[in-house]
Amino acid sequence: MKGMLGLFLLLAVVVIVPVAEYAFAAGDEPGEYVDRRVLIWNLFFRMMTVAFTVGAVVSGTIIWLILRFRESNPKAKPTPYEKEGVW
Amino acid sequence: MVLELQKPRPIWQIMFSTHHTDVGLLYLISSLAFLFLGGTLALAIRAELFLPGAQIIADAMTFNRMFTVHGTTLIFLFIIPFASAVGNYFVPIMVRYKDMAYPKLNAIAFWMIPPAGALIWLGFADFTWYATPPYSIISAPGPAADMWIFGLKILGISSVLGAINFIVTILKCKHPDMSIGQVPLLAWSFLSSSLIILVAIPTFAAALLMLLTDRLGVSGFFNPALGGDPIAYAHLFWFTFHPEVYVLVIPAIGMMYEIIPRFSRKPIFSYGSGVFAFVLLSIVGFSSWAHHMYATGMSFTEKTVFMVGTLAAVPASAMHVFNFLATMWNGRIRFSTPMMWAVGGIALFFSAGAGGVVNSAMPLDFSTHDTYWVVGHFHLFVMGTIAFGSIGYLYYMFPYVTGRMYNEAMGKIHFILSFVGTVLVFFTQHVLGLYGMPRRIFDYPPIPEWIAMNQIASVGAMIIGVSMAVFLANMIHSSAKGTPTDTDDPFGLGGKYYYPFEARNPHH
Amino acid sequence: MGHHSNWPEWIYIGVVIALMTWVGAEAWEVERIVEHVPADAKVIKVVGQQWFWSFEHEDGTTEIGELHVEAGKAYKFEIESTDVIHSFNIHDYVVLMDAVPGRVNTVWFAPDKAGEHDIQCREYCGLIHYNMRGKLIVEDPLS
Repeated sequence: MKGMLGLFLLLAVVVIVPVAEYAFAAGDEPGEYVDRRVLIWNLFFRMMTVAFTVGAVVSGTIIWLILRFRESNPKAKPTPYEKEGVW
Repeated sequence: MVLELQKPRPIWQIMFSTHHTDVGLLYLISSLAFLFLGGTLALAIRAELFLPGAQIIADAMTFNRMFTVHGTTLIFLFIIPFASAVGNYFVPIMVRYKDMAYPKLNAIAFWMIPPAGALIWLGFADFTWYATPPYSIISAPGPAADMWIFGLKILGISSVLGAINFIVTILKCKHPDMSIGQVPLLAWSFLSSSLIILVAIPTFAAALLMLLTDRLGVSGFFNPALGGDPIAYAHLFWFTFHPEVYVLVIPAIGMMYEIIPRFSRKPIFSYGSGVFAFVLLSIVGFSSWAHHMYATGMSFTEKTVFMVGTLAAVPASAMHVFNFLATMWNGRIRFSTPMMWAVGGIALFFSAGAGGVVNSAMPLDFSTHDTYWVVGHFHLFVMGTIAFGSIGYLYYMFPYVTGRMYNEAMGKIHFILSFVGTVLVFFTQHVLGLYGMPRRIFDYPPIPEWIAMNQIASVGAMIIGVSMAVFLANMIHSSAKGTPTDTDDPFGLGGKYYYPFEARNPHH
Repeated sequence: MGHHSNWPEWIYIGVVIALMTWVGAEAWEVERIVEHVPADAKVIKVVGQQWFWSFEHEDGTTEIGELHVEAGKAYKFEIESTDVIHSFNIHDYVVLMDAVPGRVNTVWFAPDKAGEHDIQCREYCGLIHYNMRGKLIVEDPLS
């Protein structure tokens, strides 16, 4: 257990710290200015793409559940708990 | 359990009672009264914003006062007291105790609400529900501002007293045969939200006192002219009120946990994950407060910490959604009015949550912060999730409270109109925010996109207004003249699924 | 309590955590780049007060309610307030930063072509908050 902890600490020092430093150091290059509009709106649209995809899955699931498991659906059958009448 | 509407009591017997159902009824009626008052202000605001220029509201000052009191009223005088109403009715029954742990304290906690509400409404302050310093210190006109501060102070004490009562009732007064692992999820939701209140509220209570002494000129905590820092107030405020968001939403989720299994005719998919998610949310909820303050000049590191803290709260909320959908799966669902509200609430909860995730991404704050995007986002929570869960639960408890059945058709019309209206208003407001319209503005330049979006939102608000009129008529008519119902199974689900018949109220 | 297996829920939680990690990483990366102020950015002092904006360029010229800048150059705003909190916002260029009394907040941008854009206040600051507006005028470089 202690060995594992040591291993993780070592990994943190060897891998994560240099990566973080590299990442922080990036962007210091002189030259062209970044266009914040492009960066921010692109980030926004990337996130919206994912959000709407997930949203489609979630709302699709909700709509399917509503249609399939409504009691007026011809395929609806009593749940196992209804026999005992306690749930 | 059944309120003796069929066998009327004089009103003072209810008013001076300390019994949990009576106090619950008082909470219920006052919270609904404030719902309609605050909602009226919302309609006036939306009507004013239908077109650029001043139409129905005389001036900017009146407008600023209206949105301040609108927000304060609906959060502190509708949502929180409504949750207390449900908790008062059901928590003692669910833990099988005769009353709340401290009945007199319970009544005192309720009776703090009317004076606080009077202070807020008679003062009609204009500094937003956030009481933004240093505006609130150096510019906001008194005595309105001071009355607001005292009103909020009283409400804070009231909710701390209520929270203590719920915690003691659930942990100490539950039936000895009952382990904490058998306490229903609705009671668990009150336990978690009460614990959040106890930790969070004192910070705001302190901030309010500091704000008051700053206004009196004897201190300068938040006044830069005296060496103070308004950002310190932002930290104190959001340290209370970001967790408070979870205080608002957790009981509503708990109410959905009651409704969804009943009408699906199945037990909840996973009780354990529900409890786990409540407890997790009430802890992680404290790690995200400064995501409201990205634009105040925070460092990159601070922003990163609070973004991670915000994202960490998402899995807990997502677990609830999974639990709801998995409960519905393989059920035989009856879509009575309460179930419609609960399922509509889940869908809007997801939308609000997705918007929240996008919000927490630091750079997007440059385009969304303090625009109508934020207004749309949090209204999807407070209206789409919390009010939907609460109103669904109100329909659900209606037969138990009045012994009569509400009008099912009117309930469904109420739901459909509210759902359409909510989507129209608040989804549109997200887009309006992306076009750059700031929050809290009385008037706006005639930019065609802004006008179009505002008009869609205003039409949506009027639809909600109509639905609420249907609601009010239904509640008043049905509680007086509705069909008397069988309280063992008012929804005709055919099971022994409800607690009240294990604990018939001996006091009535 | 139903009898069921929990693996779908675990997979679901894993997906949620993965998505949140992605959101956090993407946002972190963009914020890091956007916050990095170019060394040659010209400083413009922005002062918010109830209810107008005033600007002071590096060469000492001041403007009220209007801000003239040149396309193709980077500008760093040093934003202050003399009374209450305001929020300096050029929505078309996704520039937003609070003007907090007692602090100087900075944000930078580099306009890319000539045009007129709205400047507004996005934090509630009292009576005429709704009309605390200005104009950003981006001009082509003179030379």
